Amino acid sequence: MTRFRIAYRNLQRKKTRTLLTLGGIALSAWVLVSLLGFNRGYENALNRDVDNLGYQLMVMAKGCPYEAATMMLQGGTGFRYINETWLDSLRADPEIAGVTPILMQAYFDPNAGENGGIVGYFGVEAASFPAMKPFLRFHQGGWFGNGNAAEAVMGFEAAELEQRKVGDRILVPEKNVELTVVGILERTGTQDDGIIFVPLRKLQEIAGTNKITTVGIKVKHDGDTAALERRLYQLPDVQVVSFSQVKQTIMKLIATARVMVLAIATIALLIAMAGVANTILMSVLERLPEIGVLKTMGAMPGDIFALVWMETLILCTGGGIAGIGLSFALARATAAWVRRILPYAPRGGLVEIDLGMAGATLAVIVGVGLISGLLPAWKAARVRPLDSIRSIN
Amino acid sequence: MILSRCRGLAVALLACVLVCAVASVPSFAATGCDLNNPDRDVPRIFPGSTRYVAKYRSPTPTELAAIVAQLDERFRAIYDPLSVPYTIYEIYRGDEKMGYIHGVNQKGQFGGLQVFVALDLAGTVRSFYIQKMVGRSVAKFRDGQFGKAFIGISLKDFQKYDPVAGKGSGPLAAIANPAPDMETDFYGVLRALKKNLVLMDVFVFSAARKQQ
Repeated sequence: MTRFRIAYRNLQRKKTRTLLTLGGIALSAWVLVSLLGFNRGYENALNRDVDNLGYQLMVMAKGCPYEAATMMLQGGTGFRYINETWLDSLRADPEIAGVTPILMQAYFDPNAGENGGIVGYFGVEAASFPAMKPFLRFHQGGWFGNGNAAEAVMGFEAAELEQRKVGDRILVPEKNVELTVVGILERTGTQDDGIIFVPLRKLQEIAGTNKITTVGIKVKHDGDTAALERRLYQLPDVQVVSFSQVKQTIMKLIATARVMVLAIATIALLIAMAGVANTILMSVLERLPEIGVLKTMGAMPGDIFALVWMETLILCTGGGIAGIGLSFALARATAAWVRRILPYAPRGGLVEIDLGMAGATLAVIVGVGLISGLLPAWKAARVRPLDSIRSIN
Repeated sequence: MILSRCRGLAVALLACVLVCAVASVPSFAATGCDLNNPDRDVPRIFPGSTRYVAKYRSPTPTELAAIVAQLDERFRAIYDPLSVPYTIYEIYRGDEKMGYIHGVNQKGQFGGLQVFVALDLAGTVRSFYIQKMVGRSVAKFRDGQFGKAFIGISLKDFQKYDPVAGKGSGPLAAIANPAPDMETDFYGVLRALKKNLVLMDVFVFSAARKQQ
């Protein structure tokens, strides 16, 4: 009979205790893998969300409102302009992957509500702007045909409010210019939902200017954003708004959360391993006479040690595999539950578990389990045969 | 020093905007048509009122069937299925109920139309208000004279007039288009009025008739 089978049969003698210990280890493994998977999934999802913001830097004239809410508060006034010649110097920068010029305009519609309202327009290039906002998807239609076309792409809420679909026409207030709707974007949950996008040249023609208000900049993956920002700050009369700083702030928050997650996982693991040590130690104490008999029959301390350690190994491996299986099976449910309780959850999968993570977790559980099994195994190996046999009475 | 503080503040503000924008759960459920500022608009649309209660009403399957039977696709707003929750403003003078205000969305030539009516307890139009309309001659539609033409209209008047074909007789046929360059919007307003009256009839007045 092999050592494994003897250890396995020993564990079967106290089935309830063995099952409870296995359950504890399985729960601990489930929590550990799920937390690690959540940590990875959340970070990846958040990274995708931040990357999907498109351009990481915006350059605009000082004092220019760069955000729709500000634009509304300003009542469509207060725009400051920069020359398009800026684009050439920015495109030549080795850190920059791409730039896109934007002209923001806001016009007053006296017939929107009792006191009128502001309608926001973004003049953009169909050639460069979509690449900067890769998350934009079309509900209907697509981008403009050419740079000077009398066409418009509407954010979902703008289209909903104006009851527009592709092929319908809109009228630019104040200017009385008609545009044909060629695309309606899917809802994004951002301010883009309320914006009407017009070909840059057309909006410049409508606004009577050849300038722009903003340049969106996408930095190369290996580019030094901080160095680029420092260079841009040296330019006169412009301000720089950096999304990378926002991303860094979010990533610091994630790092803090990661430490907390790992602390919780470690505590869960330690509790489970204390349970393993307790179970095996109790088992050893209950079997002292039996171990004594084994020794009188010629079993060496190393044999007893290995036998008890094998029990720990079986418990940890079995519980670990069960817990990891549970985490794979419940990954979607866990993600859905986490999404419900978190105040903010990025889009995409929140729990990402793979075989590498599962294997590493199993190795940690078995390793820590074997360490926690050292004491019971050592105690069993040191049993003196005659003392243990006498203890029967 | 000051520059770096400003920069820090700008980044913090942007972070807040970003988090709010990304974290806000967009409302995917379309809703009916609301007054932009009910506290201001209700006393103006329903003179003599002292207070209002806004109620949100989704049609039951039976009611939805009744609505669909009376309003074909040409009456439906593009992004609002007929089953959206509708806002009905119950109008009171003190504790006495005076009537209702209700609005609907409808498609216009250059943008959405939002047409509200104030109804008395019998379902007759007391006043008429176009909250939103886009076009070159909108002022002519929002002029008080045009709105007065709808006072006294009720759902039964649409039995003699088809707002889609623009043909029929009765008081609706007598209402003239104030802006010939916005004919699409004129008939859009009439369709909105019919839709409004049909919805209110199903939600409020037909139930009242059954109780009687």
